[in-house]
Amino acid sequence: MSAVRGFLEYVPGTSLLHRMNPVAKIFCALLISVACFCTSNLIFLACVLIFDFALAAHCKMTRQAMGLAKAVTIFSLILAVIQLLTNSTGIELVPLPWGYIGTGGVIGAVTIILRLVAAAVPLFLVMYVTKMTDLANSMVKVLHVPYKYAFTFTSTVHFIPVFMNDMAGIMEAQTARGVQFDQGSIVKKIRLMVPLCIPLLVSSVRKTNSAAIAAEVRGFNLRTRESGFKQYPFAARDFVSLVICVGILVVAILLGVFF
Amino acid sequence: MIEISNFSFTYRESSEPVVRDINLTIPDGAFVGITGAAGSGKSTLTYAMNGIIPHCYPGDFYGSVKVCGLDTVECDLTEISRHVGSVCQDIDSQMVSSIVEDEMLYGLENFGVSHEEIETRVSEALDAIGIADLRDRTIDSLSGGQKQKVALAAIVALRPDVLVLDEPTAELDPASSVAVYELLRRYAREHGTTVVIVEQKIALLSDYADLLVVIESGRIRFADCPENVLEHADELLSIGVNCPRSATLCHDMKAAGLYAGPICRNVEDAVGMAEQALGLASASPESSRTAADAFAMTGAQATADIAERTAEKGGAR
Repeated sequence: MSAVRGFLEYVPGTSLLHRMNPVAKIFCALLISVACFCTSNLIFLACVLIFDFALAAHCKMTRQAMGLAKAVTIFSLILAVIQLLTNSTGIELVPLPWGYIGTGGVIGAVTIILRLVAAAVPLFLVMYVTKMTDLANSMVKVLHVPYKYAFTFTSTVHFIPVFMNDMAGIMEAQTARGVQFDQGSIVKKIRLMVPLCIPLLVSSVRKTNSAAIAAEVRGFNLRTRESGFKQYPFAARDFVSLVICVGILVVAILLGVFF
Repeated sequence: MIEISNFSFTYRESSEPVVRDINLTIPDGAFVGITGAAGSGKSTLTYAMNGIIPHCYPGDFYGSVKVCGLDTVECDLTEISRHVGSVCQDIDSQMVSSIVEDEMLYGLENFGVSHEEIETRVSEALDAIGIADLRDRTIDSLSGGQKQKVALAAIVALRPDVLVLDEPTAELDPASSVAVYELLRRYAREHGTTVVIVEQKIALLSDYADLLVVIESGRIRFADCPENVLEHADELLSIGVNCPRSATLCHDMKAAGLYAGPICRNVEDAVGMAEQALGLASASPESSRTAADAFAMTGAQATADIAERTAEKGGAR
């Protein structure tokens, strides 16, 4: 379980982001993400990124945000390299058999990395400052999402560490019997892990079934939108945040259209 | 009241019935312990009481099971759940939330407990189980024992008429197990709740249960008060159920012709018996100590006697 501990796990706090309405939070994050895809203006994207990190610093989540930014950068490097090799525009920098790496390609690659990081950080930040159940319950209360879907979502997130723990347990048991997971190439390791998927699948199906029964004997079928005990009212800070994020999106669209 | 008559059940994937010819009546407010060897059908019997059988596990269902006047086949699971609170064996998969407080709220919200009452119910249940300090913790960060207590608190908060618990102390240390049983007994007496517990620790059951049910290969072998069931120490051992040491000792002393009274379920019973035998009327700590020592000596003497006779028998052969 230690492998996933901390990843997307709620970090308690009292910052503005923590106190915001969960629905407002997710909408604000989505607005910022969409804004990042509406323009290729590097200055705008850099500003959004700075804004993201300012938010992260505000809720004392800089470390997590940095880790996430690093992970997204590594992932977007693949796309950046493709961009670099295929976008032969601008001044020629390095000749290639099929064209050249130009300044257009370099700018394109940087834009991709900046855009993906700037778009991902707010979404993940929301996960860190919001309890999963609050997010699901507020979706049901405020947005009238059917509870079934909200429950599916929270259960999925809830079961990830449980299954990871199961997998770790199975691997440890196999290692104790002499299976060498710690040696050899990645291909060899994956080949060793394939047979373990069967016990994992069996145990996860069993666990899911037990969870469904446990939910049912505690009145799952009786739940309605009104059942939720916690209320999720919109406060002034939520409206202000939404207006700011809509503003960011409008600026992005205007930049996209006119520049 | 739980009435089980001529109940047999075969899971769809198996050919043999897991439980068969079960006849059992559990009066309201009773504290019932079910024990038996692994795979004897204990859990299946609890599934029949909380409606999981036949609603979640399909198979051939014979006979009838009535809980609080509801026929478990005719009523849907949700209706049965309004009266029966269950804690399953697999605690991890029983948790539906990632925070303790949300886990507590889940059932209360679903069963439509008024929002004004919810807070009282949650804090009362947490206090009763002694885990008020865990309220804001994530479920992942809890130990197995703490998770079991959370599951129990979440069910107790629903105030069911019947509590069906499948090995609720499996991950608890002996002291915590006793604490949970104490709590359950007090809670059940205060609220008139019927408690049905599947448990391997027979010493605990014999201390707390009014009725002890021993299952062997899907059939009820004994269903009586613990004292009477423990009379059959040899048979219990032969079907894979261990007896408390005080009961085994009484049984051996009886067999050796040294004792003729009732079986002692625990050390306190044994001390009482020894006090009576020695004519010590007062129950002062000193006299209890003396009685306990006397009992220990009698026990040691009896054990030595038995060993000697066994050796003699062995020698004669």
